[in-house]
Order: sequence, then C-alpha cells, then structure tokens
Amino acid sequence: MVDLKALTESVGELDEEKVLEVLDSFVATNPSEEDAQQVVAACQSGMAIVGDLYEKGEYFVGDLIFAGELLTNAINTLKPVLGSTNTASAGSVVLGTVAGDLHDIGKNIFKSMCEAAGFTVYDLGIDQPAEAFIDKIKEVKPNIIGMSGVLTLALEAMKDTVDAIKEAGLRDSVKIIIGGNPVTKEACAQIGADAFTTNAAEGVKICQGWVK
Amino acid sequence: MSDAVSLSNERTQMYKDLYRGNVPTRIPVSSAFTLDAMILYAGMDIAEIYWDMTKAEAVFDKVCQDFFSDSMPGGTRRYPSFYQLLGSKPFIMGSTGTMQHPNVMGMGPEEYDEFIASPYDCIIEKILPRLYTELDSDPFSRALALAKAARAHGEEMATTGMIAGKMRAKYGFAAIPGNATTAPYDFMADFFRSFTGISKDIRRIPDKVVEACDAITPILIKKGKIPVKSEYGVTVIPLHMAPYMRTQDFEKFWWPSFKKQVDTLSEMGINVSLFVEHDFMRYLDHLYELPENTIMRFEYGDPKLVKEKLGKKHIISGFYPLMLLHTGTKEQCIDKAKELLDILAPGGHFMFDFDKNAFDLSGNIVENLKAVQEYVYLNGRYSEAERAGNTEPKPRVNRTDEIIAEIDANMNSKYFSTWSQYKEKHTELFERLHSVAAPKIEKFEDVMFNFIINLCS
Repeated sequence: MVDLKALTESVGELDEEKVLEVLDSFVATNPSEEDAQQVVAACQSGMAIVGDLYEKGEYFVGDLIFAGELLTNAINTLKPVLGSTNTASAGSVVLGTVAGDLHDIGKNIFKSMCEAAGFTVYDLGIDQPAEAFIDKIKEVKPNIIGMSGVLTLALEAMKDTVDAIKEAGLRDSVKIIIGGNPVTKEACAQIGADAFTTNAAEGVKICQGWVK
Repeated sequence: MSDAVSLSNERTQMYKDLYRGNVPTRIPVSSAFTLDAMILYAGMDIAEIYWDMTKAEAVFDKVCQDFFSDSMPGGTRRYPSFYQLLGSKPFIMGSTGTMQHPNVMGMGPEEYDEFIASPYDCIIEKILPRLYTELDSDPFSRALALAKAARAHGEEMATTGMIAGKMRAKYGFAAIPGNATTAPYDFMADFFRSFTGISKDIRRIPDKVVEACDAITPILIKKGKIPVKSEYGVTVIPLHMAPYMRTQDFEKFWWPSFKKQVDTLSEMGINVSLFVEHDFMRYLDHLYELPENTIMRFEYGDPKLVKEKLGKKHIISGFYPLMLLHTGTKEQCIDKAKELLDILAPGGHFMFDFDKNAFDLSGNIVENLKAVQEYVYLNGRYSEAERAGNTEPKPRVNRTDEIIAEIDANMNSKYFSTWSQYKEKHTELFERLHSVAAPKIEKFEDVMFNFIINLCS
C-alpha cells in the first residue's frame, strides 16, 4: 500500500513527477477499490495543504492552477482502479461567470478546488445570463451558487442574477457566493449574496461550512 | 497663441519636467474613464461606437467638456472590426459591448523549440492561424483576410488619431508621443501558452520557458519603439503575471527578460510607463533596479512604502481606489485624494491617477470623479521653493537606430527583411531608386510587424 502521508505531502509540494510515479506503481498492483479511495482522499488532503499555503502567501494563483492540473492527472491515473461506485458528494455547486464577462481563470481554479474538496460542480461557463443559473438550479437543485467575474460590470450582472433567482422563488433553496477581483463586502451586501471572496481556497472553506 | 495651444504647451511641460526627474508646476491629473465608460456617459451604445469610431467624436467631446484631465481620456487599440475580420479568439466583444480577453492557448508545449529558433516565423505559421480562424484557411483566403484586417486596423487608427488631434486642439491636452508593448513572460502567457499553460510549463519544462522569453525580448523591444523621433516618448507596459508567481519563479522566469527590455527601451531614450497590476509589494526591490524615472502606476499596495522605496528614483502614480468613486461620498473621495497627495506629492516624482480605469458609471462616479479631479487640480501645486532644485535636463542617450538595426538584422525570419536583405534579393529594383524605395519598403515591413505583434498581445 502507498505511504498516504508521503503522498499527501508530495501533492502539497506540487511534486508532479513523484505523485504520478507513486500512483502509477500503486495502480500496477491492481489494488482494491477501497484502497484506491484512500489514495484519492490522500491526494485531496494534499490539495488542502496547497490551499493553506496559498492563504499563507507561500503559493500563488499560478501554483493553484498547477495544483488543479496535478489533481486531475492524479485522478485520471487512478480511474482504472476506482470502479464505478459513486462516492458521497460533499454537496453541489452551480458555477458560472456572469453576463457580460468572459473571464474564467478564477472560476476554474475555484472549480478544481471545490472538486478536490469533494463537491459536485456544474460549470455553466462564461458570460451566463440569469436564466442559465435559474434553469440549472431547477434542474440539479444545488446547495450553492457560485458567481464569478473580473470586470466591475460583473457586479451589476451579479445583482441582476440574484434578483432573478429571488423572483423565481429559488433564493431560499441556495446559498450564494460571489468571487473575483471586484467583489467586496459592500458589493456583496448590495448584490444580496451570502458570502464573497477573492480567494478560491477561502471560498471552498465557506462552502464547506454551509454543507456541514 | 490660442488658449488651447498654450494650455497644451503648459501641460506638456509638466510631463516633461516629471520625466526628467524635475518637480512640475503642478501634479498632472488623469481621467478614470475607459472608452466604454465615456460612451455610457454620452448615452450611446458601446458596441455600436466601437464598430463605428467616426461616431466617437461626440463621445470624446462630451467627456472632455465635462471632466478635467491633463491628458486625453479614453482611447483603445481593441477595435472589433479587425478582430471580427480575422475570426479572433483572443479578443472578442462581450454581450455588453466590452472587448475582452478569454484565456486562449495559441501555442502547444511541444512547440517551444520551434518558437525559440524563430519566434516571428512560429507566430506567423503556427500561432496566428490558431488564434484567428480566418487565417486557418487556404493561402489566398488567408492573404485576403489579413489584408482586410490590416486595412481596417489602419482606418480605425486614423479615425481615432483624427479625433485625438481635434480634442487636443480644442481642449489643450498634453502632447506626448507614446506606444505600448508587453513584458516577455506576459507575452508568452497571455495569448500563446495561456495563464494555465505557462503555470504548468515553468514546472515541467522550465528551461524552455526561459529561452522563449529571451528569444521574444528583442521583438518586444522593437514593438515598444516610439514611432516618431522624440526626446520624451512614453512606452506603456501593462504588467500581468508576476503577482501570480512565487518570488523564486518570478526571479527566474519573469524578471530577467523584462529588466533587459526596460533597460534597452531606456537606452532608446524612452520613458517606460508600467501599469503595475495587482500586488507587486514583494517586488519593490526589483522595481527599484529599473532605469531612473520609470513611471509606475500601482493598482495595489502601500503608497507610503512605495514612496519611501521608489519615490526618489522613479515616478509614482495610481493607488487611488476607483471603487471609492463608485460607492463613496464626495467627502470620502476628496479625503482619499488628500491622503494620497500628502503621501506621494512631496518632492515631485508623482502623477495623480486611479488604481484602474472605470468601465461603468454605477453609483456616484460621475460627481465624485469631477470633485476629485478638481481637488487635485487646485491643491496639487508646487511652490517655487519646491521647484528650486530643478536642473536643466541633459540630452538623453538615444541608441534607437543602432539597437533597432541590430534587432532587425537578427530577426532570423522568412517573413521579415531588412532593407539590405531585401535589395540583395530584388535586383530588379533600379539602384537609382534605392534611396526613395528604401524608406517605403522598411516602413511597410514595420507596419506589418507591428500589426502582427499587436494581434498577439
């Protein structure tokens, strides 16, 4: 069996070569699904370390992007031994960049970190009108809505989206978090979101607090 | 001399003083508006004006009439016409009309060697056809698409140039020639490898990233050349990726090629103006190493610390939080301006500007912007005593011709010729015409070079 603690550390150190080497030899032993799930959990714990180092200012956005890539590669390597049983999801998030804004780097980082934390994420994409959020809420009944944007005009679109969710009678069924460069406490209150963040790792923690 | 001309001269002199490290008569004030916000202010449709720049004159006129600024507000180089004609992926118009840059990848990680061998060839042959769908076609359609786009670009530039001329003549803005270029690592990231791609490359193929940045540096120096001869040209470089990297990565991948670029532009007699985007507080010691009187507009950080570390050698600007204009009261906005002036104005080396430019007019921005600009105009004045240390500016070193000749000679591209390379191949051109032909041939080689690099940044 893999040294889970060492694996977690390697993921935390973003040592891709080492992580993939360990996982490749693990997969070659034809392990049980249960063992494989433990290895996944160890990788996810590594991502939590990455998040902490980011919050401490030791890692930066570029490192988070690479961490997301590393985790995707790790999970793909493990896929053949993971089987088809669905593991329990931590919760579900409908995520999108709001209307008028085409930026998605921050959204994608948040997405990969949410997935690493065990959330099921429905990513709508960029430049998404309020109706797209509403249709998806009706379809998948998520716990959380994540709205992202970089331009200041995104704040207006976030407010329109929250208003439309209210009008559709869906506001009480979801928590709403907004993220991106222009969001602030004041903007959050004005928009009517439940939380705001400019830090993906912190955003994931907020979401985890909501689904506990 | 008309009022506008003498006002323009006076304003131009303020900038000239600053750029040579002297204390100006007063602190220059900039507008906070992007062209998008200006169009909204004029009550017009952003998308429509971007498509038909002839209508922008009314927009500029209204904003210049209603708001104070020492330099011309607004301006863009992102015209939808040529992007549309080329089937652009890196720059597209969002549903509100604002031109935006999605995360695109024009170059694969396996193409570094080819890029390093000849960046200009790799850009033309491999990268542009991926970024622009109309260039991913048969050679004839491709040639026609590029010709249409270059023509459209030229026309849009001429239209905005004409409007700028009119506004300058009417409102007496400062006349300082300018250009823009990109930092080498940012250039590799923005359109080629993408934010996500390059963040992986520096871990997987670090040496190739360094070599690619070195290979593109001369091209990006050439791109930043001031198009007219001037003692006071300013080349803007918006800085992008550095705050998103660890310091050790920044020092290895981002900084060396950038430093070389700025040093060389300085040797070309240019004042480089950096838009220091996001948080550069980790890098103040690096910024200090840049040539004297480099202009740095900060988006974020501690103005006191920046003044202390850089304020005697460089020209500081920015820091004013735009968001406050949207959300604050008039009093709060003026207090903030006063606070920044108190910190940054003493001893000169300071221009007033905002941390970023406005794209929309939400909240109280219109009234607050007017109040802040008026406050700085009235209170940002230097006394004779404060200006007593000013010295006669020495002529600057200007090695432009030599530097550009060397870059051109080393372009190593099938698609770029210096005049001497050209005339060797084209013996049909009568020698007696060489002196008149050479400037034209060189000019259009450079026009296309600038257009091509513009499409990549």
